[in-house]
Amino acid sequence: MGLVTKLKANEGTVRRGYRLGRLGLSIVGSYVGYQAQNIWLGDDGRAARAARLRQRASRRVREELGELKGAAMKLGQLLSLQGQTLPEDVVRELAQLQMHAPAMHPSLARAQFKGSLGAYPEEVYREFQAVPFAAASLGQVHRAIAKDGAQVAVKIQYPAIRAAIENDFTLLSSAMLPGRMAGYFPKTLVDELRRGILEETDYHNEAANLELFHRGLSRLKYLTIPTVYRELSSDRVLTMSYVEGESFDEFLRRRPPQALRDLVGSRIVEVYHGQLQWLKAVHADPHPGNYLFHSDGRIGLVDFGCVKRIDMAPIVEAYRQRSWRDGPEGERRILTFIFGARAPLARARQFIPIMDTQADILFPRGASPVTDYRNPKIWDALRSSSEFALRNKLIAPDFAFLTRADLGLYHLLHRLGARVNISEIWQAASHQ
Amino acid sequence: MSVLIFMRTRRPVRAANKEKTRKAILRAAIELFARKGFYATTTKAIARKAGIAEGTLFNYFPTKEDLALYFFEEEQNAVIAWYGGDKQVKSAPLPEKLFAIVQRFLDRLAPYEEFIGAVYLRALSPTSKLNPVSLQMQERNLRYLRFIRSVLQEAEEAGEIPKVGDFGAYSFGLFHLAMITYWLQDRSKGKEATLAMLDRCLKISTHVLKKGGWDW
Repeated sequence: MGLVTKLKANEGTVRRGYRLGRLGLSIVGSYVGYQAQNIWLGDDGRAARAARLRQRASRRVREELGELKGAAMKLGQLLSLQGQTLPEDVVRELAQLQMHAPAMHPSLARAQFKGSLGAYPEEVYREFQAVPFAAASLGQVHRAIAKDGAQVAVKIQYPAIRAAIENDFTLLSSAMLPGRMAGYFPKTLVDELRRGILEETDYHNEAANLELFHRGLSRLKYLTIPTVYRELSSDRVLTMSYVEGESFDEFLRRRPPQALRDLVGSRIVEVYHGQLQWLKAVHADPHPGNYLFHSDGRIGLVDFGCVKRIDMAPIVEAYRQRSWRDGPEGERRILTFIFGARAPLARARQFIPIMDTQADILFPRGASPVTDYRNPKIWDALRSSSEFALRNKLIAPDFAFLTRADLGLYHLLHRLGARVNISEIWQAASHQ
Repeated sequence: MSVLIFMRTRRPVRAANKEKTRKAILRAAIELFARKGFYATTTKAIARKAGIAEGTLFNYFPTKEDLALYFFEEEQNAVIAWYGGDKQVKSAPLPEKLFAIVQRFLDRLAPYEEFIGAVYLRALSPTSKLNPVSLQMQERNLRYLRFIRSVLQEAEEAGEIPKVGDFGAYSFGLFHLAMITYWLQDRSKGKEATLAMLDRCLKISTHVLKKGGWDW
């Protein structure tokens, strides 16, 4: 999920080990602490205390993670995607975290490149820029010119990041799972996170994702997805075609007219629905930094490290149809799909009003069935899913994932100020 | 008179030839060490490969240890010469400079890993010429330490670190030895664990030197 940001100086790398140790007790510790108190506190005290603790926790999380590197950073971002297990304030802080990964200095990047591909960058590219142009969460991205003259982006992974991540998880699991807290951080979720992150450390996966998306979304002519140079890639180096375009902020600074905002917004939704329907896989990182924009409405999508294979089309379809209104069987079907067969139905049923609200926002009915993303209330409606699940201890990792993707999308489309006919796009995609 | 002229003209030629033979022997030996291993390679095989008599080999290198010493000396010289000519590294911050120096060394040693490992084992023997405190080894290390001291001096003068002088150079020398040991043991892909370790240690130590301590 490389959030593409400007690089900061090397400060702080050295404290990583130490900070991680403390992080174990602060991000996790203070949240676990809050949950512990939750059990004993009455309702009054609980709210105030929770707010205070969350505030402190989120500030801490930001302070700590802000200076942390690769693995822990990655973890923070993923936790932020898994909105269901952490309170919303913390999640929001995490979501805002920008990557300030330690830049590998040119000598280290070169050495790591050679260690992985057997030759130095200047030997295999016509030109190679020693200073990276972007940071990705597990590495950094350099510009280069391939021997055939093509502009390429070369992602190089930090050395030994996999081992570091494994250590982080050992630490996290040990800090996370004392006694009754385990319910909030089920082992399955931690394992799922671990698996996801470790998968991301193998760039072969990302190359395969890129190829899958490239093929599967090729019908969207306005969309550019990088192509992979397999012969210049390995598990820790990824050479891709360079995708041109402006960053989200640059694009917004030009004050694009409403029609362009609507067009780009609709296309972003179409790209997303195309993934859900045609690929049954989703680019799991809807961060603005992963989109590139053009003033004629073309879009680039980069960074496919974190792709989730997931079949969410039935849920979207159910939302569109409000299938739970068809009676008890319809209710049961969608709730089991979301929360799993073992979830207590009585408790899960309380989710229905939330679904009603969400469906009316995302798939409005009537003469003008358009979702206006300028409306800030959408955020509350979308995030209420995670709050509900957290409050009721209903774990639905896949659904949580979908919710996060929706929230990420909301974030992007809200800032864009787009108006989108989601239902129409969904239907059009299903007919292709 | 004629003898004198003869000696004046021939001597440099003879020295150059000697150096040539020395290098030819080293190349032959290194190749055999890399292929067959340090212990399994015989002096006879080295002489044959270098195209000289075994007796001549002993004139140049009385033992295989002397060959190893010469090998390290050559490698050190190559790294020192490279450093002087690499503008990018020369203008980098200290941790990167030191990283590049050690990495350059390891990169050059990489094809001969088995041989280096054997030499390291041998060096543990107190009577070996390869022992770090042997006269022969000290003599060679001194040149390298002087080089490191000059690199540290550049950083001192640029205000990157306080004065560390000889102590700094010696400490780095020991660290360098330790890193080679680490590298020899490193089974990670592309020896990336060594890269991470090296980078981290150098950043930490520069940080400590700069701030005079460590925020535990």
